[in-house]
Amino acid sequence: MRMTHSRELSVAAAITALALVLAVAAPGYFSAENLSDLFLANLPVLLVAIGMTLVVVTGEIDISVGSMFAICGVAAGILSKSGAPVWFVCAAACLMGALLGSLNGALVAYLGIPSIVVTLATMTALRDGLRWATEGAWVQDLPPAFQWLGLTQGQFPFFATIVTVMLTAAFAWGLRHVAAGRAIYATGSNAGAARLAGLNTSAVKWMAFTVLGMLTGLAALLNAVRFNQIPSNAGIGLEMKVIASVVVGGASVAGGTGSVMGTVLGVILLAAIGPALTFLGVSAYWERAIQGGIILVAIAADGIRHPAHRRLVAGAESARA
Amino acid sequence: MGFAILRTGASSLAPRARGLNAMSWRDRWFPNGEWVLLLVFGGEILFFSAIAPNFFTLANFFEITRFSVELGLLAVALTPVIVAGGIDLSVGSMMGLAAVTFGAEYHAWHLALPLAAAGALFVGCAGGALNALLIAKLKLPALIVTLGTFSLFRGVAEGMTQGAVNYTGFPSGFLFLGQGYLGGLIPAQLPLFVLIVSAYVMLLHRSVVGRALYAIGFTAQGARYAAIPVARRVGLVYVLSGLTASVAAIIYVAHLGQARSDAGTGYELDAITAVVLGGTSVFGGRGTIWGTLLGLFALAVLQTGLHLAAWPSELTGVLTGVLLLATIAADRHIRRRAVARAAAEELQVKNSQVAVLCGAILAGSLIVAGTNVWLLRTVGAGSRTSDGHPPPAALHRTVIAVMPKAKGDPYFVSCRAGAEEAARELDVDLVWDGPTSLDAAKQNELVENWITRKVDAVAVAVENRAGISTVLRKARERGIRVLTWDADAEPDARDFFVNQATAEGIANALTDEASRLLGGKGEFAIITGALSAANQNEWIAFIRKRLGDKHVGLKLVTIRPSDDDRDKAFAETQTLLKVYPSVKLMMAISAPAVPGAAEAVRQAGRKDVNVIGLSLPNINKPYVHDGVVQTVVLWNTRDLGYLAVYASALVTQNKLAVGARALHAGRLGQIEVRDSEIILGAPMLFNRSNIDRFDF
Repeated sequence: MRMTHSRELSVAAAITALALVLAVAAPGYFSAENLSDLFLANLPVLLVAIGMTLVVVTGEIDISVGSMFAICGVAAGILSKSGAPVWFVCAAACLMGALLGSLNGALVAYLGIPSIVVTLATMTALRDGLRWATEGAWVQDLPPAFQWLGLTQGQFPFFATIVTVMLTAAFAWGLRHVAAGRAIYATGSNAGAARLAGLNTSAVKWMAFTVLGMLTGLAALLNAVRFNQIPSNAGIGLEMKVIASVVVGGASVAGGTGSVMGTVLGVILLAAIGPALTFLGVSAYWERAIQGGIILVAIAADGIRHPAHRRLVAGAESARA
Repeated sequence: MGFAILRTGASSLAPRARGLNAMSWRDRWFPNGEWVLLLVFGGEILFFSAIAPNFFTLANFFEITRFSVELGLLAVALTPVIVAGGIDLSVGSMMGLAAVTFGAEYHAWHLALPLAAAGALFVGCAGGALNALLIAKLKLPALIVTLGTFSLFRGVAEGMTQGAVNYTGFPSGFLFLGQGYLGGLIPAQLPLFVLIVSAYVMLLHRSVVGRALYAIGFTAQGARYAAIPVARRVGLVYVLSGLTASVAAIIYVAHLGQARSDAGTGYELDAITAVVLGGTSVFGGRGTIWGTLLGLFALAVLQTGLHLAAWPSELTGVLTGVLLLATIAADRHIRRRAVARAAAEELQVKNSQVAVLCGAILAGSLIVAGTNVWLLRTVGAGSRTSDGHPPPAALHRTVIAVMPKAKGDPYFVSCRAGAEEAARELDVDLVWDGPTSLDAAKQNELVENWITRKVDAVAVAVENRAGISTVLRKARERGIRVLTWDADAEPDARDFFVNQATAEGIANALTDEASRLLGGKGEFAIITGALSAANQNEWIAFIRKRLGDKHVGLKLVTIRPSDDDRDKAFAETQTLLKVYPSVKLMMAISAPAVPGAAEAVRQAGRKDVNVIGLSLPNINKPYVHDGVVQTVVLWNTRDLGYLAVYASALVTQNKLAVGARALHAGRLGQIEVRDSEIILGAPMLFNRSNIDRFDF
C-alpha cells in the first residue's frame, strides 16, 4: 500500500527550491510574522484538504466544499448573533457541515450517483440557495465575543493552532494505523474486494463525506472568527484550491493512494507560491499563469521520472464503482 | 474491422442480454436512457408555456439556441473526452485565452480577420495538444493536468492583457456571426453550431475512432489489447476540445462584441453539467452527443423559462442541482432495474412503466397549466367592467425590469431597496433580476428574455458596453423604453443614463482624498476587484491620470486583486504591508475589499497606514469608528436605485423626453438632466462625522 512517496518527494523538492529562491531574494518572507499570517490564512484550507484527502482516497471527490464553507460560516454568525454561547456555535458549525456532508455522502454511497455529479449539483444548489436566502447581505453586528471565540484578540490564536495541529496529527496517524483509516484505503483501492473482505464500503464512503463536511464546518468557523463580520460569498473557488493541493500532494483521483503528509505538503506549496510571487515583485497579472505552470511542472516531473506508471492512461482509469 | 459492434447503431451498452436483434425502439433511439431527460424536457416546456408569457413562441426557441451555442460547443466537445474516461476543466479558460489572442491579433497586430481567427484556432489546438501530451503521453491524471492548465490558460490571458485590455470595435460583418439573423429568424451562429455538432456525431457515433473512444472509456487496458492506439485516440479528443473551445471563443467575441480575458469564466462546470445531465457516465464508456444536446437545452429552457416567469435567477442554480440529482438518480434506478429484468427476460413491464411515468408527468403539467389558465381567467374576470369590455388601461400594469450587474453584491442589494421603494410609491410592477455573478453574456440573455416577455421598460447596470448595446437597440426597436444606470451603454442604445458619478469623478475623489491624508507625498497601493473587472480598470486609469496631473508626490507602488472576496483582500493586504513597509495608504476599490484591508491593517497594528476606498457605509462602520478606515467614497446607492425606477416610470408614461432639463423624482426632489444623462450628484465622502446617518 505504501509506495515510494515519489510525489511527496517532488513536492518537497519544489517547496525547498522555492524556499531557497526566497531566502536569497526576499529573506523577509521568513519573518515570524509572515509565516504566522500565512499559517493562519491557510489553516481553513488545510482542514478542508485533510477531509478531502479521505474522500479522494475512497475514490470519490467533493466539489461542493466552497458552498458548504459559506453556509456554515453564515450559520455560525447568525447563531452567535442570536445569543448562543460560544461552545454551542462551534458545535453547530461542525454539525451543520457534517449534515451537508452526510447528505452528499448518502447520495453517493447509497443511491450510487457519481460523486462529481452529486457535488456539482449541491455546489450550485447550496450556493444559489444561500444567495437567495441572504440576498447578499453580510452577517454584521456580531457580539464582541465572536471574534477569536472570546479569547484575547491580537494574541496569536492558540486555540485554532492547537485544534488544527492535533487534528492533522490525528488524521495522519489514524489513516495509517486505525482500522477505520485502513478501511478507507481498502475501499478506494478495490471496492469489490473490500466488500468481500467484510467491509461495509458504502458506510465507509458515507463517513468520509461526513467527516469532510464536519472539517469544512470547523474550517468555516475558524475562518469566520478572525473577523467581526461574515460575508455571504465566502469560499468561492475553495474547492479548486483544495483539490489542487490534495492531488499535487500525491493523492490519486482514482482512489486508493494519498496521504495526509502529502496533502500537508501540497497545501504548503500552493499556499506559499502566491505571497512568494508578491515578495519577489512579480506583477499580479502574471501570477495565475505562473501558479498553473508550477503545478504542471511539479506533476509532470513526477510523470517523467516514473514513465512505467501502472495506469495505461491515467485519466481513463477512474474508479468504477 | 469486422466487429459486430460496428453495425449495431450508436450504443456501446446495447442490452447484450437480450441479443442484438431484439432491440426495442427505445434502445434504438435512446441507447443511453435519454428518454428520461426527454420527458423532463417536455415537462419543462409544458410548464413554462403555461406560466411564462411569450415562452411558447418560435422566436423564443431560436433565441434559446443562440444563448446555448458557446456553452453547447464546449459541452459537445467534452462528451467524447468524458466518454473516453477523461475530463477537461480547461475549456473555459481556453475560451478566455483564444478570445484575447484573437483580439490582440486583429487589433494590435492588424491581421486580417480570417488570419486572426486561424491564429486563435491554432492557440486552441496548441493548448489542447499540451493537455494531450501530459495526459496521453506522460499518463498523468486528466483532472490534475487540466486543473493546472485551467489556471495556466486564464493566467496567460490575464498576463497578455494586463487584465485591463478589452478589444472591441470589430467589423459589423464579423459581429453578424454572433448577433445577426438569417432570414430574420435564425441566429447566424446556428448553422456553424449544427455543422460542428454533426461533425462530432460522425466522429463519436459513426466512426471507428468513436468506437475506440467507447472502448477506451470502458476499459483502457482492454482497448489496448484490441489493438486500439489508446494514447493517440485520447490525445485527439483533447486537441479537438481545445480547438472547439477556440471556435466557441470566436463566436463569443462576435456575440458580445468584445474580447476580454474573462471570457468563458465558469463555463467548464456548466458544460460538464449539461454533459452529465445528458446521461454521459463520468466513469467513461457511456454517453451520446444527442443526450448532451438534450441536457444543454433542458438547462437553457429552465433558465429562460424562469426569467420569463420573472422568478429570481438564484432559483436556476437550485433547480439545476435538483434536476441533475433527480435525473441521474432516476437513470441509475431504471438502469439497475433493467439489468435485473434483462436477466429475467420481462420486457413488457418496463414499457407500461414508461407509459405510467409519461402519463403522470403529462397529467402534472396539465394540472399546473390548467390552474394557471383558470387563475388568469378569474383575475381577468374580476377586473372587467360590467359591460364585459376590459378597460385597457386598468388591465395593463406598467412592468419595469431593472438589472444589476450582479445580484447578491451588497452594493446592488442596497440599490434594490431604493428601487422597491420607488415601485411601491409609483404603483408599478418591478422585476429585479440579474446574473448571480459578473457575467456579460448572462446580461444579454436576460435582456433578450425581457424583450420576449414584453416588459414596458428595462433599466440595466451595464457590465459590458459594446456587447449589450446591440440587444438594447433591439429592445428599443420593439418599443421598450431603455435606460441604463450605474454604468452606461452606447448613447444611441438607450433613452437615458442615470449617472451617479463619472469614473473620472470617482477616481479624482479617491486620489484627492489619498493626497490629503498623505500630505501630498508618499506611497500607496491599490486593492482592486477581479483583475479583469472593467469598472475598476477604468477607475485605475483615471487614478493614474490624476496622479500625473495633480499629485506628482504620490506613488502607486502596486495593484493587487481581491476577486471581490473579503478574505482574499485581507490576505493580500497582510502580504503588502510586509513587502512594502513604506506604503502608508491602502486604496481598496471593491466593496468587500475595504473591510478586508482594514482588518489586516488593524490586526497588524499598523496605526501609520490609512485605509480608504469605494465601499458601502454599513460594512465599514466598525472600522471608521475605530479610526482604521478614514474615508469611504460612494454615492447614496439607495437613491440610485430609487432614481433608476422613478426615471424609467416617467419615460414609460411619456412624462420625460429627450431635451428635458430637469425632472421631479419623488422624495429626491428636482434632479438635473444633462443631454440624455440624469445626474444623481457628486460622490459622497463618508467619514466618522457622518457615516452613522446612512443605512445601506
